[in-house]
Amino acid sequence: MTAGNLVVDIDGSPILRRVSLEVSAGELVCLVGRNGAGKSTTFRTIMGARKPVSGAIALEGRELLGLAPFEIARLGIGFAPEESEVFGDLTVAENILLPTWTRATQRSATEREALAYRVFPRLERYRARGGQQLSGGERKMVSIARALALDPKLLLLDEPTEGLSPAVVPSIVDGIGSIRQLGHAVLIAESNLHHVPDFADRLYVIERGEIIYAGAPADVRKDLAVARVVDGVG
Amino acid sequence: MRRAPSVILIVAAVVALGLVPVLAPPFYANLLVPFYGYAIALLGFNLLFGYGGLLSFGHAMFLGLGAYGAAVIAGVWGIKEFEIVLIGAALAGLVVALPLGWLVVRYTGIFFGMLTLAFGMLTHSVLFKFYHLTGGDSGMRVPRMRLLGLEFAAYNKIELMAGPFYYYCLALMLIAAFLMWRIVHSPFGLHLRSLRDNAQKALYLGVRVHQFRLAAFVISAIYGAIGGAILGFRTGLADPELVYWTHSGHLVFMTVLGGFSSFLGPIIGALALTLLQDQLQSYTQYWRFVLGAILALVVIFLPRGLAGLAADVGSFLSSPRRRPGPVQLPEHSQPGVLGPGLRRDDVA
Repeated sequence: MTAGNLVVDIDGSPILRRVSLEVSAGELVCLVGRNGAGKSTTFRTIMGARKPVSGAIALEGRELLGLAPFEIARLGIGFAPEESEVFGDLTVAENILLPTWTRATQRSATEREALAYRVFPRLERYRARGGQQLSGGERKMVSIARALALDPKLLLLDEPTEGLSPAVVPSIVDGIGSIRQLGHAVLIAESNLHHVPDFADRLYVIERGEIIYAGAPADVRKDLAVARVVDGVG
Repeated sequence: MRRAPSVILIVAAVVALGLVPVLAPPFYANLLVPFYGYAIALLGFNLLFGYGGLLSFGHAMFLGLGAYGAAVIAGVWGIKEFEIVLIGAALAGLVVALPLGWLVVRYTGIFFGMLTLAFGMLTHSVLFKFYHLTGGDSGMRVPRMRLLGLEFAAYNKIELMAGPFYYYCLALMLIAAFLMWRIVHSPFGLHLRSLRDNAQKALYLGVRVHQFRLAAFVISAIYGAIGGAILGFRTGLADPELVYWTHSGHLVFMTVLGGFSSFLGPIIGALALTLLQDQLQSYTQYWRFVLGAILALVVIFLPRGLAGLAADVGSFLSSPRRRPGPVQLPEHSQPGVLGPGLRRDDVA
């Protein structure tokens, strides 16, 4: 997936300023930035929920601008938003089953369901539980597993560990690791550099709607200005 | 085997309804014929409202469409086969609901409600004002029709309604309920429930929101038109009152009374209101006041309607705590499972 020079205004205020991103097949890339930096807007723009003023987004060469969110999902981009809203009136099993009907891939629906439960084994025993009866961590797991059940080429995870108990975070990170091993490209938005998985391939840092760093996670602190942003002291 | 008591209750209810013409005076069987029409219409209405989260305030227009369709097909064109009338009414519902639904399903909440109300009122005005075409406030006559090719010439109107037509409608309601059961328990039904819950999230999962809502709207219109054809045959008349907004309110009342979160709720509501209205009308001229008070009480104290109340009573009666002796796990529980998705090791 490539996003080039995305400019997004909301109510006349510039939110994204020429944001460019690229995620290759099988890669795990993180977009790090403080609250309000433009991470969620970037994801929503990729998903077609926000219309950019200018720029281009393509998935495997196919232009995505102008497509509706459901069309983008069907082309192969799964999205687990920050709010992790599961369908409260649906059971865990129904939540995960739903996307297996909306996008046909080489994997069968049964296989895709099985993969979702393999990534988060805890959900297996909550299959019959209603979405409203889940804890925050479980809802997050369902949200990610549901996006994975779409069998996407690229998975967008918006702050997957935000607001979760430290005891639950390792389960989520392990799950993301399993997703990567399955060969899906993953783009994660994170506000905390310490939550970026060790196995991330590349890192983008976004500040006030601009990408100020793109490179290896290990080198992110080499630039003092970037270090201040990721450490939250700038 | 958790469903066993429900299945037994449903079978008992169907048997009881089947015995009405045999055991009760013809008046009651005749009284229940509109119930079947409403029950079928509300099965469709609740697909839209209970499962799709779209509350239509103009749904009576489809009942009117069915009744006027019957009047045109049987009265004007002279085709007296009720099965053809039903197919014609369903097609009319489909043809009208497709373009109308295409527009209104783009809106939700109060905007959807107001748009359906507006189109309902528009339909009423057309039926009311185009006198030469629709008979104006006098309506159009719906003649007596053949059922399954049989004339039933020996029966007068009351006997026909309380006998053959009663059973015909009962069978039609069972078929309609079975089909609707299959619809709401299919992937289509699951998609609809996800839309009711959160349409934006459903979009992110690739669900074609408008398409599913349109399909629900069209199916509900077809059910409404079939219900309307039954109402038209029973009264022998299709008149503009059928599509008036108060009649749409009547449909909402029945659904809320029975419980829109339950599959059988609208059917229970249609039966309860049919019987209740008849009884109240025989006691007082202020029956509308009493109905209004009942609706207020149901909304406040029984938000899940009569079906929810029945479910709660059933759960209470079957609660292990009410039984003497050792506490037993429900029959459906797997070893180690304490409830839906809860195991003993979670509790420890």
